[in-house]
Amino acid sequence: MIRTKAVLAGAALCAAAALAGCSSSGPASTAAGSGNGMVTLTYWSGFTGGDQATYTALIKQFNATHKNIKVNMTVQPWDSIAQKLPEAMATGSGPDIATPDYNVGTIRQYISNGLLAPIDQLLGNGTNQIPASVLPPAVKSAFTVDGHLYAAPANWATLELYYNKTMFARAGITSPPTTMAQLESDAVKLTVKSGSTVKQYGIAIADHSTIAMWPIFIWANGGDIQTANGCSALDNPKTVQAVSTWANLIAKDNITQVGLAGQDADNLFSAQKAAMEINGPWATGEYTPAHVDYGLAPVPTGAIGTTVTTASTVPMVLNAKSPNKAAAMTFFAWWLSKPVQAYLAEHAGYPPSRTDMTNYPGLSKAPFVAGFSAQSPYARFYLPTVANFNNVDTNIISPAIQAVERGANVASTLKSAGSQLNSAVNCPS
Amino acid sequence: MTPPATGLTPSVTGARPTGRTPPARSGRKRWRVAPGYLFLFPSAAILLVFVVYPIAQSLWMSLHNWSLFSSSHPFVGLANYRTMWHDPRFWNALRNTAVYTAVVVPGQVGIGLALAVALQRNSLVNKFLRSVFFFPVISALATMGIVWKFLLDPQIGIITHLLVSVGLPDIGFLQSTTWALPAVIAVGIWKSAGFSMVIFLAALQDIPRSVMEAAIVDGAGPWPRFWRVTLPMLRQSALFAVVIATITSMQLFDQVYVMTSGGPLFHTDTLVTYLYQVGFQDFRSGYAAAISWVLFLLILLVSMLQLRLFRFKETD
Repeated sequence: MIRTKAVLAGAALCAAAALAGCSSSGPASTAAGSGNGMVTLTYWSGFTGGDQATYTALIKQFNATHKNIKVNMTVQPWDSIAQKLPEAMATGSGPDIATPDYNVGTIRQYISNGLLAPIDQLLGNGTNQIPASVLPPAVKSAFTVDGHLYAAPANWATLELYYNKTMFARAGITSPPTTMAQLESDAVKLTVKSGSTVKQYGIAIADHSTIAMWPIFIWANGGDIQTANGCSALDNPKTVQAVSTWANLIAKDNITQVGLAGQDADNLFSAQKAAMEINGPWATGEYTPAHVDYGLAPVPTGAIGTTVTTASTVPMVLNAKSPNKAAAMTFFAWWLSKPVQAYLAEHAGYPPSRTDMTNYPGLSKAPFVAGFSAQSPYARFYLPTVANFNNVDTNIISPAIQAVERGANVASTLKSAGSQLNSAVNCPS
Repeated sequence: MTPPATGLTPSVTGARPTGRTPPARSGRKRWRVAPGYLFLFPSAAILLVFVVYPIAQSLWMSLHNWSLFSSSHPFVGLANYRTMWHDPRFWNALRNTAVYTAVVVPGQVGIGLALAVALQRNSLVNKFLRSVFFFPVISALATMGIVWKFLLDPQIGIITHLLVSVGLPDIGFLQSTTWALPAVIAVGIWKSAGFSMVIFLAALQDIPRSVMEAAIVDGAGPWPRFWRVTLPMLRQSALFAVVIATITSMQLFDQVYVMTSGGPLFHTDTLVTYLYQVGFQDFRSGYAAAISWVLFLLILLVSMLQLRLFRFKETD
């Protein structure tokens, strides 16, 4: 009897321990606040790169200067956020603030399912507000849906042309290209072959897993990916012409290696196997330590008569179910304040996310920021209104570009991709 | 008087009835839970929550238009399966998975068997070599994928450099639509051959010396001894190695994800990389669940087929 009871007690303890292990490990971290008036904002961000330290330092600054608000930032990989955030927000267990993705279109999926709160009150001239006019137009447009602002930029970047000064000098080229025609001819001149082996590529153009580079060639020629109403512009003659030009340069002159992911292209430039690359400010942190003798220039002007480049921003959004919306607005306004933007520029190399800081004194400490900032008025987002961005980019646009790089017929490939794009965004084919 | 039963277990040592009349029946059936079940309960509960429930839930999801974003998931019956039937990306992924499995399984098992036979003597050198060949098995596949990605890099990869130095063309293995899948297959065999080797080494130790000695006495040379004695006696181990290799090959994900992300142009896309993209990048969880169920049924079917084909005796 005693033995049986002991066995039963042991089993019960084991079961209790197991169940305890399976149950909640503690109180939810998204508590609205404690009894002393302190509000804790939970923040999921995907800044796992070299700029993570800068973001963490800024959060510390915010917490030190705001006695009643504490931001608790959890940094996790982008794919992890993509998997967890929608479900967490839908079930009410999500963070107050989050960066859902580094593609701007993705937030539209959250918006259409009512997961985000509008943050219109961020714009204005009062306390904890910023003037609407200081947001870059592309940002304001991309983050506004049905007349409401749904995100603040956690950062802002444009792309410039990186060029290897040593390789340029060796090829007898005295200055970086200023027109697309010069860019094309320089890319050919800078490509060095030995038999069938390419020793040095004129330019490194990534075709997947990175911020889009190909649209720059298309936009510069007056073409586009989407029309104003979001449907396909891939069969636009200027789009076809631009893609044909660059596909020919790749197929005939081998100006770039085919099939490069973003990191592969960066590696080529960093290893001094490519003479040029169009890239964002984050790349300076890789090329400077690699002792690449590089310079930066605006993206060359195409047929449209001005420079044009790809914009990049990470949307920072507010959970519709957050009980701490006022505190979140305070945080957003602080994040977009001039000193914080200057700190971000100085330590992470990003241009300020506002347009009224051209002569801001702190920016002089960041040598490359001025150039990237100067590109801001000409920067455009790639697929800004496409909610299912990953599907369209991974399954339609990138494969089309990869196919023409490998010799597929440009017109028919783009036409086919255009039909798929129209189907994906509910446009008539 | 009999004390009333108060717990889950009836009293087995309580006072026996002493009166003339038999004890009154309570009218309730007394029951007991064997202690063994209580000990099983924690593991069973974990299995139910983390294995059985997700499997059942995924089947449920596959019958709905399920999105991570949406709070409503309308029932669509077999629509996801019909979509799959007309989805060229699914068939492409299935074809790549089949090619990978068809090459890697015999390659892995064949090389593993050859290594086991070559290294079966317990010398110091053989022990060292066994460790060398087993090392890729215990290394993280994702890490090995990154290492091989660098080795095969057309600019800085040592393999490319060696090929070019002997006059072969500069092949961007992982960027080439022709060579990407063979490269992934080669790495898969390299990674897994050590596992089969260990299985066969253990089985080789179990072959009675008397059987081999009898074969020698009967005048069998090394090759007949291998074909007619060693190989038949390894049959059960071979079955195990083949079934495990098939299952892991059909579930290929991390190696491809790291090396090629399914590219170039989906030429290395497998069922699981496609499933991942559909579920976690396009957020079409219902469709992803349907793909996972098709994969599950395929693995079940192939495994059953292998067990049937390899079965030699009813007792196997």
